[in-house]
Amino acid sequence: MTYADYATWKTTPISEEPYLSIVIPAYNEEERIIPTIGAIASYVTGLGLPWELIIADDGSRDQTVALVESLEMVNLRLLRAERNGGKGSAVRRGVLEARGRYILFDDADNSTPIEELPKLLRKLDQEGYDVAVGSRAVGGTEEAHKNLLRRTLSGGLRWIVRHFFRIGVRDTQCGFKLFTREAAHRLYAAQTIDGFSFDLEILYLADRIGYKIAEVPVTWIDAPGSKVDTSREVQRFLRDLVRIKWNDLRGVYAQA
Amino acid sequence: MALTTRTVGNVTVLELTGRFDAHMAPALLEWYGKLRTAQVVVNLAGVNFIDSSALAALTGGMKRCRQQKGDLKLCALQQPVQVIFELTRMNRAFEIFPSETEAIASFTH
Repeated sequence: MTYADYATWKTTPISEEPYLSIVIPAYNEEERIIPTIGAIASYVTGLGLPWELIIADDGSRDQTVALVESLEMVNLRLLRAERNGGKGSAVRRGVLEARGRYILFDDADNSTPIEELPKLLRKLDQEGYDVAVGSRAVGGTEEAHKNLLRRTLSGGLRWIVRHFFRIGVRDTQCGFKLFTREAAHRLYAAQTIDGFSFDLEILYLADRIGYKIAEVPVTWIDAPGSKVDTSREVQRFLRDLVRIKWNDLRGVYAQA
Repeated sequence: MALTTRTVGNVTVLELTGRFDAHMAPALLEWYGKLRTAQVVVNLAGVNFIDSSALAALTGGMKRCRQQKGDLKLCALQQPVQVIFELTRMNRAFEIFPSETEAIASFTH
């Protein structure tokens, strides 16, 4: 990894198909987005692979858009949104615009350090998986600064998802997921949920289609300034669980 | 994240390691409160990520030192941290040196 690699990526458009696209949804992230972009850009350019970065704004009302524009990175695409449509809608827009052979969805707060990326890439590139999910619920995971309430709720929701939905992935909500382009475009084109539970729907669909999914332990740091209102999101999550099952029964996913 | 302090001549050297974020920023503010000198070098060789709260905490320390006719200087930035300083334009606010030795020596020149 050299500074020259980073400087070249910043100023020279990649001419070939990207090996990797990284999609970051952003809603009022003026405090957190720039350090995250810096950490990602520095690390990923060091891997020596053609890659692009997509920031999918979600109707931010702060300086997020202006700050990202001011970076003048030629391989960074900023997707604007007039209105706040939910994290799921921002990720979908970003993923469907992504051209990379592999597509990573990553959170704006850098909760999972980008240095964990090779673990997921290995699963797709060398072991034939279609989807690799960063997980805080399997052996080898390191979680920092997560409070007791969030730990308890996470555990309870994981139990419901596992036993009532029969989704094998134990941590559906970690914002660090890697897909093949074919899988990503097919799954996100079929997505109907725009809020917090879109991850669950994507994994439900992936399981339903028969994609091979790896759950990979990653380091996760609970970044301060989280916009998640825990009790409200738990209610939405439970409601969306019912909605996903109902969608499936009605044949909404039949074309996926 | 770990925080280690030592003194070299009239300069206090603060060595940080790990992820320097909002969880660590309060410890740095507390450390400033105990500081007896206005000549400080913060060695960031062991820091692999820095967020806006941590940048604000460093800026606060730098202003405090400058008000007392000293300075807070930085050294040994890893590449990701260097890039974050550039993108946030904080590299213009601080004196940054490649090594701790050069940062300490700059106080006597």
